[in-house]
Amino acid sequence: MSVPLSQMWTVSTYVLRQKLRGRQRYPLVLMLEPLFRCNLACAGCGKIQYPAHVLRRHLTVAQCLRAVDECGAPMVSIPGGEPLLHPEIGALIEALVARRKYVYLCTNALLLKEKVDAGVFRPSRYLSFSVHMDGLREEHDEAVCRDGVYDRAVQAIREAVARGFRVTTNTTLFDGASPSRVRRFFDAMMDLGVEGMMVSPGYSYAKAPDQEHFLRRQKAHRLFSAILSRPARRWRFNQSPLFLQFLMGKRDFECTPWGMPTYNIFGWQRPCYLLQEGYAATFEELMASTGWERYGRKSGNPRCQDCMVHSGYEASAVDHAFGSWRGFVDTVVTTVSGRL
Amino acid sequence: VSGEPARDGAPDASEPLEALVERAFDYRGDVTVVTIDGEELVGFLANRNGDVQDPFVQLLESGRPDPRTLRYAEIRTIRFTGNDPAAGNRHATWLGRRAEVDRSAGGPSGA
Repeated sequence: MSVPLSQMWTVSTYVLRQKLRGRQRYPLVLMLEPLFRCNLACAGCGKIQYPAHVLRRHLTVAQCLRAVDECGAPMVSIPGGEPLLHPEIGALIEALVARRKYVYLCTNALLLKEKVDAGVFRPSRYLSFSVHMDGLREEHDEAVCRDGVYDRAVQAIREAVARGFRVTTNTTLFDGASPSRVRRFFDAMMDLGVEGMMVSPGYSYAKAPDQEHFLRRQKAHRLFSAILSRPARRWRFNQSPLFLQFLMGKRDFECTPWGMPTYNIFGWQRPCYLLQEGYAATFEELMASTGWERYGRKSGNPRCQDCMVHSGYEASAVDHAFGSWRGFVDTVVTTVSGRL
Repeated sequence: VSGEPARDGAPDASEPLEALVERAFDYRGDVTVVTIDGEELVGFLANRNGDVQDPFVQLLESGRPDPRTLRYAEIRTIRFTGNDPAAGNRHATWLGRRAEVDRSAGGPSGA
C-alpha cells in the first residue's frame, strides 16, 4: 500500500476510537463537492447536468469548513465538478491542512499546472492531488469526451510530482475495458511517479449521457480479477486491499452508505455520494433521519444491486479490517505480500 | 451544459401534488412553481421532504443565494419549463466525431 504511515495511523486510531465508543455508523471520508461546474463533460458522469445558474454556484470556504467540522471524518475528498474552478480553492485547502485533515483534491488536471505554477497550493503530507485518469490516452480521452486531455494530465502529474506534491490517480472502469490495457496503464502511472492509484467500477448514474457501459456485478468481478490477479510488484494502490479483493469477487461486503457522506450546494445528500434522494440541513439530521435500511444489496433496492463503487464499499473494507482479528490479519498479509 | 428543450410544461391535472413534486425533484432543468395565490416562481427544485409533518420543497432561483422554502400546501402546480441538461446524447455525438477522425487518419489512435 502507498498510504503514508502518518495517514494510516490517523485513520486507524480514528476507526478504533469509533469502535471503542460503540458507534455503529461513523463517517470515514467526507465527500465535499464545493461546486458542480466542470471544464469537461464526461460520458459516464451524472454530476454536472444542471441549469447554468446552479452551475455558477459554489460553497464558500466557511460553508465547507462548517461541514468538515460537523462531520468529523479524518479524510476529506473534494470532487465536483472540477474543484480547481473554485475561486477560493487555495484558501480552502490551506484551511483543511491547518485542521490536519487528509485531503484528496480530485481533479481532471487541466488547470493543475497553472494553479501549481501560480503558487495556489503548497506541498503537504495532508494534501494529495487525485487525478482523474481512466486509462491510456485512447481510453481516457474517450471517457472524458475530449482529445488531448490525457497528455495534459500526464504533463501536470509530472510537474506536481517534481514539485514535491503527493499525487494519486483515480480510475473508473466501464464495460469493455481491456485488462491488458489497464495493466499497461497502471505501469504507465507508476512510471510517472504517482504515490498510488485508486480504481473503481463506474456507477450507472441515471443522468449520465452514456447508459450502455456500466459494469454489472459479475462482469466487474471478471474484469477486476483479470486485471489484479497477478499484480505487478511496483503497483501501489491508495485504497484498502480488501476492497480490491471485493472487486475481484474474492470477498463480499455490504454497502456502508454513511461511510463517505456527501455535502454540496444543496446540503447533506441522502443517502450516499451516488444516489440523490434528498438533502438534510445538518450532518446530524442526515445520520438520524435517513432510512439506511433501504440501501445496500440486502435491502433489495434495485439501484444498489450492481453498485461496487468505492464510495460505498471502501469504508466497509476499512471497517472490516478493524472490526475483527481476521480482517486485520488479512489486511496486513495482503499489504505486506502485495498479493491480492 | 446544453440541453434538450423542455417538454410540454403543463402537468397532467389529475397527477397528485406529491407525485408532481417527485418528478420535479428528479428533473434537472428549471421548473415554474405556481403558488396558491397565483405567484409564479422559476428555479431549480433542489430538495423536497414529504416525510415531515409539514412537507416542503426548496427552490433555487437564479440570482438568489439562498433557496426559497415552500410548503406543499402553498403550491398549486409545477410546470417543467426549463431545458433539461440531462437529456440529449453528447457521448454518441463525440463517438461519431471520433470515428470520423480515426477514418481520416487511417485507424484508431492509441496511447
